[in-house]
Amino acid sequence: MSTEYLPGEVHDDELDPNEIRYVEGAVRNSAEQLAAYKNIDLATLPLLFLLFGGISVFLFALTVGDWDFWMDWRDRRWWPLVTPFSLILLPSVLGTFMWLKFRLPMGATFATMSFLAASWASRYANFHDFAGFPLNFVSPSTWVGLGVVLDATLLISRSFYFTGFVGAFLFGLLTYTINWPIFAPFRIPIEYNGTMVTVADLMGYMYIRTAIPEYVRIIEESTLRTFGEAVTPLTAVFAGFVTILNYYLWCWVGHKISVSRWMNRII
Amino acid sequence: MMYKKIIGILLLSLTFFTFGEMAFAHGERAQQAGLRMRTLNWWDIEVTPKKVTVNEVITIKGKFSPSVWWPKHMANPSERLAYLNIGVPGPVFVRIDSRVNGVPMIRSTHFELGKTYDFEIKLKARTPGRYHMHPVLSVHDTGPIIGSGQWVEITGDQKNFENKVTTLTGEVIDLETQGMKEIATWHLFWVAVGLAWMFYWFRKLPVLMPRFKEVERLGPLHANDMISMKDMVVGVVFFGGILIAIAASYVWTQNQYPVTTPLQTGEVEVAPLPGQGDVVQIKMLDARYRLPGRSFKVDLEVTNNGDSPIRLGEFLTANIRFVNRDVMGDVQPIDEQDLIAKEGLVVDDNLIQPGEMRKITLRAEDALWETMRLTSLVYDPDSRFAAMLFFFDGEGKRYHIEVGGQMMPTFS
Repeated sequence: MSTEYLPGEVHDDELDPNEIRYVEGAVRNSAEQLAAYKNIDLATLPLLFLLFGGISVFLFALTVGDWDFWMDWRDRRWWPLVTPFSLILLPSVLGTFMWLKFRLPMGATFATMSFLAASWASRYANFHDFAGFPLNFVSPSTWVGLGVVLDATLLISRSFYFTGFVGAFLFGLLTYTINWPIFAPFRIPIEYNGTMVTVADLMGYMYIRTAIPEYVRIIEESTLRTFGEAVTPLTAVFAGFVTILNYYLWCWVGHKISVSRWMNRII
Repeated sequence: MMYKKIIGILLLSLTFFTFGEMAFAHGERAQQAGLRMRTLNWWDIEVTPKKVTVNEVITIKGKFSPSVWWPKHMANPSERLAYLNIGVPGPVFVRIDSRVNGVPMIRSTHFELGKTYDFEIKLKARTPGRYHMHPVLSVHDTGPIIGSGQWVEITGDQKNFENKVTTLTGEVIDLETQGMKEIATWHLFWVAVGLAWMFYWFRKLPVLMPRFKEVERLGPLHANDMISMKDMVVGVVFFGGILIAIAASYVWTQNQYPVTTPLQTGEVEVAPLPGQGDVVQIKMLDARYRLPGRSFKVDLEVTNNGDSPIRLGEFLTANIRFVNRDVMGDVQPIDEQDLIAKEGLVVDDNLIQPGEMRKITLRAEDALWETMRLTSLVYDPDSRFAAMLFFFDGEGKRYHIEVGGQMMPTFS
């Protein structure tokens, strides 16, 4: 039987304030402890899933926003650069925390999965059901596979340095490639009213967004003139490098928040 | 007792939302008065037909002219990009065509100040409902500037809506569902991969607390001992398998869609309509706005270079038409929110003979100055105004010319 020694204050006049009291614990045997631990898993994981989904969608809306909301914004120059740079934040922090505290290589997968679920909820409820846009025009992109790659790199290497160098680089490098099967049907060319457009461009023109005129899209600004038309591979490599740096930065933050200094002081 | 009062007040305040007038606004009254008066002049806006069923097409057309008195502190469409748009609540229509002076407006362009442009937009009805629709011109770094709105109604069922186009590779696709199969397939695939990875680590509960305790027990130097060889093998399999899956999906997609192009952008050029010559010339002498009377008075010097007498019939500013009944007759509003002051324009000595130069005085008076929040013109930092004047000759031919300049308020 689990008991705990508690020489606490007693207000009952009939009791001796100096008497030693034995209070029964919440967990009385190992089976109950096992059940309690299971309940912690079952309660914690869904809550964390909701929490990180909400945080990541909010963060993404603030930092990337329209770049990932609309199919006609996800260009080959800027989208593959800004999205992994922003999205690596939570996988880095959560991945670091889960590894340091639990030796679980699943923080990045968990973060990208929760982001995807929250993104789908937002796109379906806000953009499709409420605002009326076709779901294909506003469907989210995917990073789940890259989250698993990041976690698997950490598992294999057991090193944040190596994970940043390989996993985070792949996270940025492969962002466009992993999403290409989703984007390709929207890059088919169409001649419309004497103008060549892609399917995505045409949808952006047809499905009216009063507050988003055509010129606000940031597509192919400037030129990589030395590299011909190899825009996407170059962007992907550069995205890989900046994602490495951002990964290390947020790993450092993850280390900081994994220190139990404040909790120890409270306890 | 206090909290009951507070709850009572809160409940009472809810009735304002319950019984209040529904808002359909697109910012008609929200912007600064000077901004609305001195940016774009919209006129002759027609919407036909006003009632359609799903899949039917309506046309909205008219004219606009960027003001030569465009505020200096705002970017104007001659120097920054502009885009012809539509103010409706979301994609209740799909835009199938839009043109300015016959040029397709899929992309953005520039417009010269003081010039006149014809626009025409064709929209295919998609979502049933009643909507207030405005033409909109969005100007980079300035934002949307709306023309006068009209009500339209769509009946039918959105399930019947279809939006098919033919690609340059010869396929007929429905934009409502294009790519949805690929989206669903690849999202489900990657979710399955993610779930498989999560399942591996959580296949046997509990996980968090036992591992946490074990990490604490082993310490940071030895905690890696918790990773087994099986874990490593699984990690390698997932790592390699995902890279192979990404490569395979890319190759598969290239085979499925061998012809693709990057997203397209760019500018188009559009020439303004030819001018009307110098049939009418004006010079503004004085402009005063009398606040108590909601009365705008302008002294003008008008020269008629034509061969027929002319009269001033309309004063248009901020999408409000102040009409001279003597010239225009009984002009009826198109709907309940058409901004017309039917007898709002009074003009002294309103007949200018051919070859004559004459001073005339116009008074634009109506409660619309107040209800459309144009009285706040006096609070603008530069106290300037602009408006479009419409003169008519004996044969009913119309000449438009913009007037603008310094305005002086009168407070008594």
